[in-house]
Amino acid sequence: MFNCKQYQSQSFKHIAYSSLAGLLIIMTLSACDQKQSTDHIDYNPTAPIEKGGTMIDALSGEPSGLIAMIAGESSASAIASNIFNSLLKYDKNLELTGELAQNWEISPDQRTITFHLKPNLKWADGEPLTSNDVMFTWQTVTNDNTRTPYGADYKLVIKAETPDKNTFRVTYAQPYAPALDSWSGLHILPKHLLQNQDINTSSFARNPVGSHYYKLDQWKSGESISLSRNENATQGQANIDRLVSRIIPDRAAQFLELMADNIDSMSLNSIQYARIFPARPDLNEKFSLYKELGNSYTYLGFNLKHKPFDDIRVRKAINYAIDKQEIIDGVLLGLGLPVASPYKPGTRWSNPKLKPYAYNPQKAIELLKAAGFEDHDGDGILDKDGKPLAFEILTNQNKEREMSAVLIQRRLKEIGIDVKIRVVEWATFISRFIKTGDFNVVLLGWGLGVEPDQYNIWHSSQQAPGQFNFIGYQNKKVDYLLEKGRLELNPDKRMKIYHDFAEILLEDSPIVYLYAGYGLPTMHKRIKGIDNPAPPAGIGHNSYEWYIPKPYRRNEMSAN
Amino acid sequence: MRNIFRNPLAVAGLCIISAILLMAIFAPFIAPYDPDAIHVKTILLAPSAEHIMGTDGLGRDVWSRMLFGARISLLVGIVAVGIATIIGIFLGAIAGFYRGWVDTVIMRLVDVMLSIPTFFLILAVIAFLTPSIWNIMIVIGLTSWMGVTRLVRAEFLSLRNREFVLASQTLGAKDYRLIFKHLLPNSLTPIIVSSVLGVASAVLVESGLSFLGLGVQAPQASWGNILTDGKEYIEFAWWLSLFPGIAILITVLGYNLLGEGLRDALDPRTSKN
Amino acid sequence: MLSYLLKRLFWMVPLLVGISLISFLIMHLAPGDITSTEAGFNPKTSEESRQKLREMYNLDKPVVVQYGLWLKRISKLDFGHSFASHQKPVFWEEKDKDGNISKGMIQEALPITLLINVLSLILIIAIALPLGVISALTQNKLPDRAITIFVFIGFAIPGFWLALMLMYWTGVSHHWLPISGLHSLGSDKLPWVSQVIDTLHHLTLPILISGLTGLAGISLFVRNGMLDVLHQDYITTARAKGLPENTVVYKHALRNALLPLITIFGLSIPGLIGGSVIAESIFAIPGMGKLFYDAVLMRDFPVIMGILTIGSALTLLGNLLADLAYAWADPRVRKGVSS
Repeated sequence: MFNCKQYQSQSFKHIAYSSLAGLLIIMTLSACDQKQSTDHIDYNPTAPIEKGGTMIDALSGEPSGLIAMIAGESSASAIASNIFNSLLKYDKNLELTGELAQNWEISPDQRTITFHLKPNLKWADGEPLTSNDVMFTWQTVTNDNTRTPYGADYKLVIKAETPDKNTFRVTYAQPYAPALDSWSGLHILPKHLLQNQDINTSSFARNPVGSHYYKLDQWKSGESISLSRNENATQGQANIDRLVSRIIPDRAAQFLELMADNIDSMSLNSIQYARIFPARPDLNEKFSLYKELGNSYTYLGFNLKHKPFDDIRVRKAINYAIDKQEIIDGVLLGLGLPVASPYKPGTRWSNPKLKPYAYNPQKAIELLKAAGFEDHDGDGILDKDGKPLAFEILTNQNKEREMSAVLIQRRLKEIGIDVKIRVVEWATFISRFIKTGDFNVVLLGWGLGVEPDQYNIWHSSQQAPGQFNFIGYQNKKVDYLLEKGRLELNPDKRMKIYHDFAEILLEDSPIVYLYAGYGLPTMHKRIKGIDNPAPPAGIGHNSYEWYIPKPYRRNEMSAN
Repeated sequence: MRNIFRNPLAVAGLCIISAILLMAIFAPFIAPYDPDAIHVKTILLAPSAEHIMGTDGLGRDVWSRMLFGARISLLVGIVAVGIATIIGIFLGAIAGFYRGWVDTVIMRLVDVMLSIPTFFLILAVIAFLTPSIWNIMIVIGLTSWMGVTRLVRAEFLSLRNREFVLASQTLGAKDYRLIFKHLLPNSLTPIIVSSVLGVASAVLVESGLSFLGLGVQAPQASWGNILTDGKEYIEFAWWLSLFPGIAILITVLGYNLLGEGLRDALDPRTSKN
Repeated sequence: MLSYLLKRLFWMVPLLVGISLISFLIMHLAPGDITSTEAGFNPKTSEESRQKLREMYNLDKPVVVQYGLWLKRISKLDFGHSFASHQKPVFWEEKDKDGNISKGMIQEALPITLLINVLSLILIIAIALPLGVISALTQNKLPDRAITIFVFIGFAIPGFWLALMLMYWTGVSHHWLPISGLHSLGSDKLPWVSQVIDTLHHLTLPILISGLTGLAGISLFVRNGMLDVLHQDYITTARAKGLPENTVVYKHALRNALLPLITIFGLSIPGLIGGSVIAESIFAIPGMGKLFYDAVLMRDFPVIMGILTIGSALTLLGNLLADLAYAWADPRVRKGVSS
């Protein structure tokens, strides 16, 4: 109530606002009664593990459904991964381990994988989960009527069998190294609820039944999605009772909600992490900061079908002319790493020998001169055959990318390249520019997966509209290595293949690697049991072990 | 017109607009720094003697960006309203002059456009055509001509039967001559008022589009996108949102005061005291 | 009165056709084949959904035929299904063969937007009326000037900036109001009175901001209307008769000045609905504006066309109601049209 009084006296000082404020007060009065008094709790001491409590986070967009293979958005997989299991998963050190599968065997000819399911698995509704469900899921994802972009991996399976209710066996025409990884990404769906439904339109997408730690409790359209603990969970019982994801589209509003202690977690941007938090001791009292190696890298990609980017000297020159460290320091405030291969730095697949192109404008100018670009007409812009060296960098609406583009523009200007920047919204970006190939240079990001196979992105066969090799990269040696890498299951030999691949890629410079930013999640200190520092898999790997001690919980609304 | 100078609000509006226009025009001479000069070592500096409005996330001087942003924001407002006014005068003139079915068709078109939520229309068209400063000006212009059309038509209808018009018509004056020589000059007042008010709305629409990511695109500075840049740090780097916010407020206020003052001064009914 | 109504209804038909035409043309504004505007990399599904789109909108036929067929469908209020949101019906709920009801997207969003708009209209009237009257009575004096500046500041302040500052002030610095959303978590367990209060709390800031923006238009309208009326002969007569000033102002002048206000409300509907995009995005309110914005970003054409058509039709309806109310309230109009 103290706040209410203070509010009244303050606002009546502003005569001009008094009528508005009066109305505000009427609407506010009872809010003050409900106000929670969590302001002065010290969240630092640890407490014994207790079950219960609610964790709240925020989503920027509402998922279209919770069947991940159909929905495709990141918000859908974020929630669906708490509801559904896959056969396999990655552990905290990014090694494959069983989830629904107890173990698996690979046949001597390396073409057949046999998964043995854990015994007595159940769906959240109590029905048994068997190999028939796995079979059904495989049939669904490979069905041509299923509108999923993820079918390709599973269509390589030429035979799938269920010898008994706990065994699932798949056979490939030839050894397929990314197979195991693909089975870690396929959520197993319940056959008994979906078998006579059209997966594309089924109401199951808004009313899912899975087998993981949580089940859907309530979905309020446009507002929130609440999950509650699944008593029949296959992987043991999570500690936290309820997970609530509020849909808050605006990032600024999300941060306000975080500061007001209405949500427990959010991923920060570098300014929030490196500037705002250090300046706000009150926030540090309530929130812990984490730093995870990011899951993607940002690059500048050339349209290799357009002049002058078909000339390797021009591509290399631009690579030398860009100061990557400056971008990392300026845009990410140092919260990122330079990369020289499309793999997570420090992991097995990343070739430790490779170094990014050092910032060397002199070398860039020499290379451009060799390619015929000089400032013949004295206008400060390099030219060749009377045509100036000028192009447009196209990027989507992403603050970090925009800022990187601005820094690149300046560096290229210094060596006489005239760069314009065009920022467009994502749907236009894809449909108008990428699918039509109507671009010169893009600034985008690719994932840094745990599976090294990047056939889709770099193989010369993947250039049709809508496919991923839209920059038009063609290199016979790379094609060969990518094909070979898919057939090779021996980890050491595989590593050699992808190290070679990354080396050629760096030398060819079809893209300029800019940086791999850190993921910067913050979590409320009421949530205990989080690994700090974050393991390679990120802090989320043991979320079922997190817990919220009773004194730290929010006041729950109750009818009294 | 002299009445305006007796209305202090209109004078205030005029002063504000002139000052901001001058600043925009002479931006290159006033701005202490290159608005696009990046200094990654000095990002997010609070206002100081060196940077009177502080620096942004790339170390660019906010004051310089505000000055150059004023050009873009005002350009968007003025050109958009120019387009709307030209369309409005044209359609309103033929509707009011020829009456009959031409009038009916045009006025139904006005009704249709008035019943579609304009901001939705702008949003959809700009997203589909990809946001650029030209698209934004054209689309705002194409969706805000209805008011002028109605005004011009109403003026024409009332002027059409005045003696001087009838007289020149009997003397065999051509239609276009009548329209441009007699009718239009006599209906300029409400057109000017509505254009002045229109610029205010257009500046606001641009800032709203920027908020949604569909406004003038980076790295070009407009008040709307400087403000949007600052929205995530509203209490930490307050200077990033405060200055563009106030600039938009003052400008829109200025146009409104001038427009409303003009209306008051030129309208015989309300200026009687 | 009846013939007036019939005439008005008759005129709505060409307007509805015009509205549908514009909504339809919007779809064809998207560059290239509209079926290729899918928001993602996806070689396979795009071909499939393209085919589906072509069938749904008869894209292989001439544009005129396409439009005719679409018009036929929407005349039966069939706005189709969303591309992006798992085939949710665009307009109204549908039952699938297992009896599961999926709610229509507009059906869910519209009441929320209408509620906010109605509440903010009430707020606007409650504040704009007294301000307008005071302004008129003190024409060109200090209160008039102060009020004019105040309402213009309300109009001129960029809404999202004010919203964020108020959110910070009332939600973070002090825990007076919720920051975003429509309901508190778990509010559905409360008795309905508390639920209503809870929702009102969440709506306080959005309504306040939309009210502040709309204040200028209405209060100036009242002011100018009052000035207009106060200078008319019958008011002078009333004053000359020695009626008390209060009676003159409130009984005679105000009533006549207020009448045209009714039509202004009808006209302000599209602005209120369209202006909701930004407020709804900031405050995380799942109304029509947010729905439309998301649909635009996802290129969800059935939703875009549905909202444009239904939003405009509602405006027409609002205008009709306003005009009828005006005719009913003003005897001159009533008699004029029925004779």
